Amino acid sequence: MSPAVFHFLWEVNFGAVKEGDSVRTFGRLVSYQPEESKATLSIQHAARQHQVVVQTTFVEPFDPIIGAQYIVLGEIEKAEGGDGVMVHARVLNCVDGVNLALLQRGVNEQRSYFRERGESKGDAATAAQQRAPL
Amino acid sequence: MQPEATEPEEDSVWEEPPSMLWGLDPMFNAFNRLYVKDILHMRESCQVSGIYFYNSHPIFKVDVLGTVVYKREREDFFCYGVDDGTGVINSLCWKDEQWREQGDPATRKCRYSHYSCVSTLFVFTVGCVLSSVWARAFGSSACEDFNPASELKKLRQAQHSSSHLEIGELLRVRGPVKTSRQQREIMASTYYKVSDPVMAVQISWMMEVPQLYRQCYDKPFHLDSSAQNIQGGSASYLLGRATRILKDFLKEKEVTRFRPYDVQDLLQPLVSRQPQKTASEQEPEAGPSSGPPTSFKQLRELLQKSLQILQDEGLVFRKVKCQDEVYHVTERDKDLLMAVRDILREDCRREKYAEKGCHILHILSSVRQRYSRNVSKAALVLVLKALECNSDIISTSDSHYTIL
Repeated sequence: MSPAVFHFLWEVNFGAVKEGDSVRTFGRLVSYQPEESKATLSIQHAARQHQVVVQTTFVEPFDPIIGAQYIVLGEIEKAEGGDGVMVHARVLNCVDGVNLALLQRGVNEQRSYFRERGESKGDAATAAQQRAPL
Repeated sequence: MQPEATEPEEDSVWEEPPSMLWGLDPMFNAFNRLYVKDILHMRESCQVSGIYFYNSHPIFKVDVLGTVVYKREREDFFCYGVDDGTGVINSLCWKDEQWREQGDPATRKCRYSHYSCVSTLFVFTVGCVLSSVWARAFGSSACEDFNPASELKKLRQAQHSSSHLEIGELLRVRGPVKTSRQQREIMASTYYKVSDPVMAVQISWMMEVPQLYRQCYDKPFHLDSSAQNIQGGSASYLLGRATRILKDFLKEKEVTRFRPYDVQDLLQPLVSRQPQKTASEQEPEAGPSSGPPTSFKQLRELLQKSLQILQDEGLVFRKVKCQDEVYHVTERDKDLLMAVRDILREDCRREKYAEKGCHILHILSSVRQRYSRNVSKAALVLVLKALECNSDIISTSDSHYTIL
């Protein structure tokens, strides 16, 4: 089983994670269509809204709190319609109240350590990060 | 930064510190907060199985915080797959028997332990004491609110919810690492569900672990010179390895006789690695006065000590003690075997030894008279064992032998 590495929503949209790989990401729940088992997470970054569609078949039923922060762990798949990617969730937890800035700092702290260590695994994330500087 | 020895080429360069010195590394006794990726790639020790090396540190126990991504439940344990973002590892979590419900199949099988009874009684007694104190403080009506049985039930439920996790929940697990069926897993000594609604615990873990790596885990394990020179420590370890190397060589090559310089080179890698080639190539037999290099002297000493150990164990002996140091490998010395067999054949014909056979000390003195004065008792024991395995002789008692 591949580990679910932390990525930010904008990185997921920029294709930082290969199709089929596991990913862990977070965002605000903006919409949920139970009949299609699809939820949309959104996050604001560098004056832009980034969104990603989450397939929720494996995690239903869940209590959707629109506007709350959620963390999702799942596999990257091609989005229906062929445009972009979506996350097929295996875990979808509400983390409303999370300190987003601190969470970002935590993720970056871990990444900068792996960069120091010269890990090639960190390179995909850092390349995406450089495209959208924090 | 010293790289982890994950590549086969790197393995050959780095040598494990002797196991006797591992206790000097604080990481050996701590629950190390390594990333799962590093736990999965750690190199297992070739001295002691169950101990692993990360960046020259001996690792025994780890501490992991991660999301449960798969779960297998059996009657006695859970097997949780824990994902910390760098890797996924199996975690074997034994169920705690004493917290099982009365109606559980396990307790129906009367597996109620003595400890469980004692602990329940203890909780009940404490409950009664507390309720009487409570009554005195707040009036008698308060006594009815405290019910030890229901409190015990709540405690049991809390324990149950702490150890039963579903996929997506956060698990903290601490324990030794084991390799089972070529898979690394953690044998949990402690595990519990972490309630982390706003990710505070995970965020602080993400901030702390890189610091731990920079300050402790990635700094190589340095043995200061006093530890290196401990006589009890690295010296006996070296000697043990040297003896093993010689034994393996004599066995593999089916050596019957050898001289010290025939096996000297085998021990070269154990001695300090400073290149002293010129001196040793030119004059291998140089005496102490000509000042041989330190590593050559160490080599000779190590060789002498190892050969002495082999002699004490009876594996080798010197038939004739003279300038020419020739060692005979006991079990392959056909003349010695024949001599012992002949002694037994002749002496067992005599009435004195016919019934009970010959005592080992009698055989020893005969061998020393006829064959060589330098055969030790240990060597003779090995010869007698070899002959008995061959069905040439048989032991009639603990220390008596007769011919077949």
